[in-house]
Amino acid sequence: MITPELIGFAGILLLLILLAVGIPIGIGLALVGGVGLTLLLSPEAALIKAGVITFDTISRYELGVLPLFVLMAHLCFAAGASRDFFDAAARFVGHRRGGLAMASIGGCAGFGAISGSSLATVATITSVALPEMRKANYAPSFATGALAAGGTLGSLIPPSGALIVFGIIAEQSIGKLFAAAVIPGLTQALFYLVAIAILCRLNPLLGPPTTRAPWRERWPALRSIADVGLLIIFVIGGLFVGWFTPTEAASVGSVAALLLCWRRGRLNWRAVSDALQTTLRTTGMIYIVIIGALLFATFISVTGIAALLSNLVAGLDSGPTVAIIAMALVLLLLGSFLDGLALMLLTTPIFLPITLDLGLSPIWFGIFLVRTMEIGFVHPPLGLNVYVIQGIAGDIPLGTIFRGIVPFLLADFLHLALLIAVPALSLWLPGVIA
Amino acid sequence: GAAPLPPGTQVLTYASPYPPGHPFSRADQRWMQHIEQASGGRLRIKPYWAGALLSSDQSMEEIRHGVADIGLITPIYTRGGAHTQRAQAGFYGGVRSMGEQIGVYRCLAARFPALNNEVRGLRVLAVQPGNFPGILTRTRPVRTLADLKGLRLRAPAENLEVLRALGADPVDMPMADVYSALAKGVIDGVVAPADTLKSLHFAEVAQHFTALRVSRGSYPARAMSERSWNALTPEFQRLLHQSQDVWETALIDEMNAAETAGIAFGKAHGVAFLPIGPADQQRFDALYNGNAARIAAALTRFGSDGTPIFTEAQRLIAARAAEHPSACASNATDPATHA
Amino acid sequence: MTLPPASPAPAETRIDADVGPSPDHRAAPPLARLMLAIGSVALLLAMSTDALAVAGRHAGIRLFGSIEIVQACIVLVATSAIVLTTIVEGHARVHILLDRLKPATATRLLRGADWVSALVFLWLATGSTWLLADLWNAFELTEILHLPLRWLRLAWIVGSLVTAALFVRRALSRTAA
Ligand code: NA
Ligand code: NA
Repeated sequence: MITPELIGFAGILLLLILLAVGIPIGIGLALVGGVGLTLLLSPEAALIKAGVITFDTISRYELGVLPLFVLMAHLCFAAGASRDFFDAAARFVGHRRGGLAMASIGGCAGFGAISGSSLATVATITSVALPEMRKANYAPSFATGALAAGGTLGSLIPPSGALIVFGIIAEQSIGKLFAAAVIPGLTQALFYLVAIAILCRLNPLLGPPTTRAPWRERWPALRSIADVGLLIIFVIGGLFVGWFTPTEAASVGSVAALLLCWRRGRLNWRAVSDALQTTLRTTGMIYIVIIGALLFATFISVTGIAALLSNLVAGLDSGPTVAIIAMALVLLLLGSFLDGLALMLLTTPIFLPITLDLGLSPIWFGIFLVRTMEIGFVHPPLGLNVYVIQGIAGDIPLGTIFRGIVPFLLADFLHLALLIAVPALSLWLPGVIA
Repeated sequence: GAAPLPPGTQVLTYASPYPPGHPFSRADQRWMQHIEQASGGRLRIKPYWAGALLSSDQSMEEIRHGVADIGLITPIYTRGGAHTQRAQAGFYGGVRSMGEQIGVYRCLAARFPALNNEVRGLRVLAVQPGNFPGILTRTRPVRTLADLKGLRLRAPAENLEVLRALGADPVDMPMADVYSALAKGVIDGVVAPADTLKSLHFAEVAQHFTALRVSRGSYPARAMSERSWNALTPEFQRLLHQSQDVWETALIDEMNAAETAGIAFGKAHGVAFLPIGPADQQRFDALYNGNAARIAAALTRFGSDGTPIFTEAQRLIAARAAEHPSACASNATDPATHA
Repeated sequence: MTLPPASPAPAETRIDADVGPSPDHRAAPPLARLMLAIGSVALLLAMSTDALAVAGRHAGIRLFGSIEIVQACIVLVATSAIVLTTIVEGHARVHILLDRLKPATATRLLRGADWVSALVFLWLATGSTWLLADLWNAFELTEILHLPLRWLRLAWIVGSLVTAALFVRRALSRTAA
């Protein structure tokens, strides 16, 4: 007998096949959602639902935060703010063992506070830091491993494109999600720094020390990040203390980034129009994916799959921890061949209700999901960060990079376990700020 | 659908944008139980909560086209196609209870085709009243209308004019942002019913609740697609028709319970409940009605004549206040049998 | 696909709010220029409106309805962005299999994906049109500024039809490189 649940599982399978054969992610989600709703409701109901969801999505004020944060990042990029964090960090810690790798993590964390994306962060910092590390005779696997891992900070540290999309799909406050991501993002960076220190102690050849920069070189480096630093504190801080809503923060941030361009003498028509063009391309891609995801999510809820799996989990009666670990394993497995956004959009409609049934916070779940998704950015075979680095480095084989990532993956798993064990790491700050 | 259903059994879908624990949803569940019981288990309702199936903005359109058989509709928040419905909910100045809100709406709907015309394609299964909002303030108590001067208050769009006339500084922001806006002092208060003290945790961030009754009306809030209705057996049609009272009573009940819980929660958190003098209440009601009359007149831009509806609503409320519940006007038909 | 199998093009697999490849400065087709113009103006207007509303609020001047202006702008941003993304072939897809296939096979799959995409956009446009037909005379207006939403709905429908047409054109012109 064909039950709605069966149609649901068939839909998920069909989606995986469609994505594998190269159908754009948003189109695949919309197609499966549309066909599913047509079968389960009626062709008319599916059409009307599609009409409602599309306009509801493209006219949603809260979603405006996405193009505006992307614009802010591109304008900061146009202002030349991409290498400053690494340069400053390198002058302070470069003379230590593995110091340039540590500076790369610092650069990724700093740039991650401007950009909403893992790939943008890894691309930007790699192009700055990798040549420096190679000049200093760093082991290629170690250097690229640190960069690949560090890049993932971009999608957790606010602003975060992934958290914005999660907030829209799960109907959670984007401000709260951003606040929840701060401590996990900073502890993640800390874990990487510790990993680097341990690796270099075990094998000093990985990251030989460079000459110590004198203080007269350190001060100018600090001064050069002062304006971008102020911008970040103003935008993210103002969002947290309630000067503005997330969408407003993105708008104010874009205006501030325009001022930054002007202050640095980089404000010209070409720079602004390039930033707008790249922003729009990214925006269009994401909107289609979100529309598709919302159609797919409606289909999934009509099938009753989430309820079925949720009952299954409840029937196991083994407590939330086992369920969370099971979810993490499924996410990591799917993450080895799906990219991050597809992974999140596919699993949120199924996992979020289960999470809520287990009595867990949806805000915590958002952090858990993005953190797990980040790991998928670095593990084979589809670790996108790795391909970005390889594209920039050219001569370093993929295998070498993946080998360099292994110790950082270990740090990732420990950090993920910490986030699962101590939900307060995510939930304390939004509670204080509210 | 696991076990095959016994013959003659029918399942209808019900969808709501609210989560299952919300007072509206609790009333919905009581209605579902009633339906199952009254039909001897032959008519069942399968619920979809929290916006999984129906949107909040276009739910009337979605039900008309069969996205769900039955659903929660909110014509008063819909941006198009229900302007008369929306306006009439503000015509109830001076109304005293939720039951009265429902009674007045039924009379209006029976008399003015514009109201039923806006829910065409739908079969209304329940009319929903609402708890009376008061004024919740952070630190500055409101004991008289004069205390409103200079207060930055979050208020529903239809109250903006009245509050402005009283010297307040009304703000329009999503209800979801109000808690943190109160906590951070971005606003001084909010126009909201007492149940929000608990349901939205406002008792944690506000110290005073002034029982200034901001009037409000009722509106059709649960509806079935006419097509699904026509496909039902006469027996099930009768059953659903008779369940309207059950649903409305459950709604009033759950909303009262939420209000009681809100007041208790507020008291436990040290919220001071402040009365307002009868003269001030009267002045407020007069301003409220003056604004409602303007809104009624402005309906002409949507091709609707609101003034007679407003006048009739006020006549019905005055008759009830004078203990002559003249029921509806003489030409009234049974509101439940409209097409 | 011209890329070697070992290195899928990360630029085309951008998956979150991401920095794409640097913009193309060759002469863009007129449609792309139009979409860029509409999207840019709308995005900058949304930015300025929001920023002014914040500044006004902190200065004690309330700009009622700023959210509605931003909302209207976002509709135009999203619509033009979707068309623009389609023109530059910027839709996110999973490359894991495509990059390991023979170019001719990959091209055939991509052509199929183009047809499917065109159909999906046609379907979205049909649903949106049906809804708009119901709402055309419903005076669907925003709360405070009373901006008429039907023109924005119409703009989206036009945008989705153009997108469908672009996918058809790509399907017809795609050849194995
Ligand atoms: Na970020
Ligand atoms: Na992956």
